[in-house]
Amino acid sequence: MRRSPAEIALSLGALALGAGVVGVTASLPAEGGYAGIGPRFVPGVVGTGLLLLGAWLACEALSGGWRGGRPDDARERGEHAFDVAAFGWITAGLFAHMALIGWAGFVIAGTALFVCVARGFGSRKPIRDFLIGIALALGVFFFFVKLLNVNLPAGWLSPLLGGAGI
Amino acid sequence: MEALSALLAGFGVALQPMNLLWGFIGVTLGTFVGVLPGVGPALTVAMLLPLTVKLDPTGALIMFAGIYYGAMFGGSTTTILLNTPGESASIATALEGNRMAKAGRAGPALATSAIGSFVAGTIATILLTLLAPLVVDLALKFGPAEYFALMVFAFVTVSAVLGSSTVRGLTSLFLGLFLGLVGIDSQTGQPRFAFGVPELLDGVDVVVLAVGLFAVGEALYVAAYQSRLTETVEKVKGSIMMSAADWQRSWPAWLRATAIGFPFGTIPAGGSEIPTFLSYATEKKLTRHPEEFGKGAIEGVAGPEAANNAAATGVLVPLLTLGIPTSATAAILLGAFQNYGLQPGPLLFDSQKDLVWGLIASLYIGNIILLILNLPLIGIWVKVLTIPKDLLYAGILVFATLGAYSLHQSWVDLATLYAFGLLGFAMRRWDIPVGPAVIGLILGPLAETQFRRALSISQGDASVFFTQPISASFLAITAALVIVPFVVRHWGRLRRSRS
Repeated sequence: MRRSPAEIALSLGALALGAGVVGVTASLPAEGGYAGIGPRFVPGVVGTGLLLLGAWLACEALSGGWRGGRPDDARERGEHAFDVAAFGWITAGLFAHMALIGWAGFVIAGTALFVCVARGFGSRKPIRDFLIGIALALGVFFFFVKLLNVNLPAGWLSPLLGGAGI
Repeated sequence: MEALSALLAGFGVALQPMNLLWGFIGVTLGTFVGVLPGVGPALTVAMLLPLTVKLDPTGALIMFAGIYYGAMFGGSTTTILLNTPGESASIATALEGNRMAKAGRAGPALATSAIGSFVAGTIATILLTLLAPLVVDLALKFGPAEYFALMVFAFVTVSAVLGSSTVRGLTSLFLGLFLGLVGIDSQTGQPRFAFGVPELLDGVDVVVLAVGLFAVGEALYVAAYQSRLTETVEKVKGSIMMSAADWQRSWPAWLRATAIGFPFGTIPAGGSEIPTFLSYATEKKLTRHPEEFGKGAIEGVAGPEAANNAAATGVLVPLLTLGIPTSATAAILLGAFQNYGLQPGPLLFDSQKDLVWGLIASLYIGNIILLILNLPLIGIWVKVLTIPKDLLYAGILVFATLGAYSLHQSWVDLATLYAFGLLGFAMRRWDIPVGPAVIGLILGPLAETQFRRALSISQGDASVFFTQPISASFLAITAALVIVPFVVRHWGRLRRSRS
């Protein structure tokens, strides 16, 4: 009988979320202002719904797998097997961006992200990616910050780039 | 007729130079981003939303309408020339369109797609113009109970009627509903599920969810499972003109497709898969050249593409007149309205007549701009298609993070973005529909407000949902939609086991 650990994990995740929602809801105040339903009702319904759905999904997962799902074998789906390195590089890029943007600024963070993601997709030309990334980040920065007044940090490059506004 | 005079006033707004410019920018941006493989209209609108925050509402919404249509045109181009469709609605087009391209007939395929979309879009917009005032009149009779019942109908049909699994669709919906609860309760000011994090007090932004699910999730998925696959981009050889025979076969398909597509767009269960497949099946049945189907029959492109566009316009009917989104893209457009403090619905038609009718007028204009501009520029769009995956997704993610960060200048939004990216990856891999989550996020809080309001008015009497006729009928239809297929499926099994 087919048992997919991922499906079981996801079902339990839904179940856990439902339980969490119900639990947190219990700590909310119940009064609803005037003659009405309080802030607890709908969260309670949503939490209960998630519990029931999570339970159903878990039952399906344990009794032969989710119904109507996609084939487990990557080749059947027309894809290749899970590429951990690719997944990792993209994650790394996003985390680098998260860490850098606050103090190094959008341009540097964006470039780092660009290079990491390109590497994740198999690029073997980091210098080219770096140059394209920085060009893109600079272009975006000027277009959106100077022209459209969007708020993006200039970070380390602020003596060169200045702030928002023309 | 009142609609006609309102529409003329709308043209007055839409034809102002600034608004024309926004429409033009929207159509071009939408096509450019829509052409990018893996980026559909929902993601296009979501990524560009935060960047228009400082623009005036009319111009920005006109731009979004342009993006909406442009993205669909761009998506069609990709489907015909590339083997992997970006959205499921394109599968029908891919069946014949890609075959036509492989046979050297990419030009006529693109032409019939573009012209058909224009014809269907224009007719559908006319239907929208005529229908909108009627629905608005009807909606004025709606109270909170009716709106709530209608939203329940939308929730159920969007998650439970389509797709391979009702349970997974509902789970996606409830997840979206939960995310909609994060933040401050509008009725009492009570913070819920924010755990003291200031960024969460503002609630989960639809942009962060949509971009996380569609852009980050897609990037993670494609990198993990598809990055080593190579795709061939078919060249556009020869002229893009259609022959007389092509025209002869296309135009009836366009008209039939509009009739099929528009109604499906207006109802929540529609999506774009059903009308496009229905159109494909219809064309296959009615064609005088059945042997061509599967090898590149032009009706097989003309029909589904027109149906797609008609459905996309149909989606605007409940969105503008009732404030009910019937697709993930519509949910994001609703978010765009909310950003400007506008709530689509009958009141908007009254208080912001110029904006709404200007928007509708700009749909006509957008359709024209699309047709005139994009067929000649097809060479440029084809070049865009050849951008290698590594640079493509890197660029998409730079834009994705840009939008998310611009909300609060906080890394918390970026972390949330990544979390939704993981979610989107999981949903893609294990076949959990994504649309219901986005709709749940946007519509959930509105539904809760209507629910509580209805109960306030009735002094806590819950039977009001079942005693008021309109509300009761919506709920009855909803129940029927869920129960009837269930019964039909299991009755068959019961009868077989008895005999």
